[in-house]
Amino acid sequence: MLVMIALALAGGMLVALSRQINGRLALQTTALQSSFWNHVVGLAVLTIVVLGAGSFWPEGAATAPFIAWIGGAVGVAFVGLGSWLIPRLGAAMTGGLLVAGQMLSGVALDLLRGEDAVLWMQLGGVALILAGVALSRR
Amino acid sequence: MANPDPITPITRNPAGPLVILAALGTGSLLTLMLLSNSTMAAHTSALYSSFAAHGVGSVVAAFALLALWRLRGTQKDRTVLRRHAPLWAYLGGISGALTVVATSLAANSELALTGTLALGIVGQMALALIFDATGAMGIERRLPSGRQLLSLAAIVVGTLLIIFSRGMS
Repeated sequence: MLVMIALALAGGMLVALSRQINGRLALQTTALQSSFWNHVVGLAVLTIVVLGAGSFWPEGAATAPFIAWIGGAVGVAFVGLGSWLIPRLGAAMTGGLLVAGQMLSGVALDLLRGEDAVLWMQLGGVALILAGVALSRR
Repeated sequence: MANPDPITPITRNPAGPLVILAALGTGSLLTLMLLSNSTMAAHTSALYSSFAAHGVGSVVAAFALLALWRLRGTQKDRTVLRRHAPLWAYLGGISGALTVVATSLAANSELALTGTLALGIVGQMALALIFDATGAMGIERRLPSGRQLLSLAAIVVGTLLIIFSRGMS
């Protein structure tokens, strides 16, 4: 269990690490180039992992709907914009505001789709996040 | 990590409303991205979903770069000739790719998705604060103000509430 807790923490730390490194590359090239290299290098790593444990065309890939394939395109914009933001806001405020945007849109989506969740916790979370965003302005 | 090679900081209007809105908008892209990637993961696996996203992303980014270069083609005289970025600055994708491996292992344990997400937020914010305080990777060193720390605390607690609101019903 401790190993799993460490892995979950590491998952978040790896997000901060890649954003910091990509932000540095963007300072000396462009945000789009940093996103390009992030995807190409990530693809190389994942190709090795898939070679070791997986398949390049698993069962189910052929029947996956169109929406399942667009995540990578959205990711190009996400990584590029993150690289642009980090020198401007710093790592902590960038991470905080990205999470804020993700949560606000996530709750909106959950409510639209009628997902099961504890309403007061959702609304309390939204209120706290909005307060945090308001405080982030200098 | 200890700021060996600081780069000219970008200090214009650090947290103006437009940059904040841009960050919130970028964050909402993540909701869309996760919706797509989790659909792929449900049809295949978390690993394959990330592999496919990186593959599609590589192609899309390559086309976007080519399109930009064609548009700018002749005007190559960029006034600011920056030094070459160090090799490690090109390797951010490694930790991005390993994220999937770490989180999918943790999400399949007793932690489940809820615990994995909650701990991930904590890990991400803790390391980000360390990066800011040390000026890691040559990005401007900065100490958050009390107001910013309060802002981050409100966002993190709000986020944890939302994450657990899904896991508890």
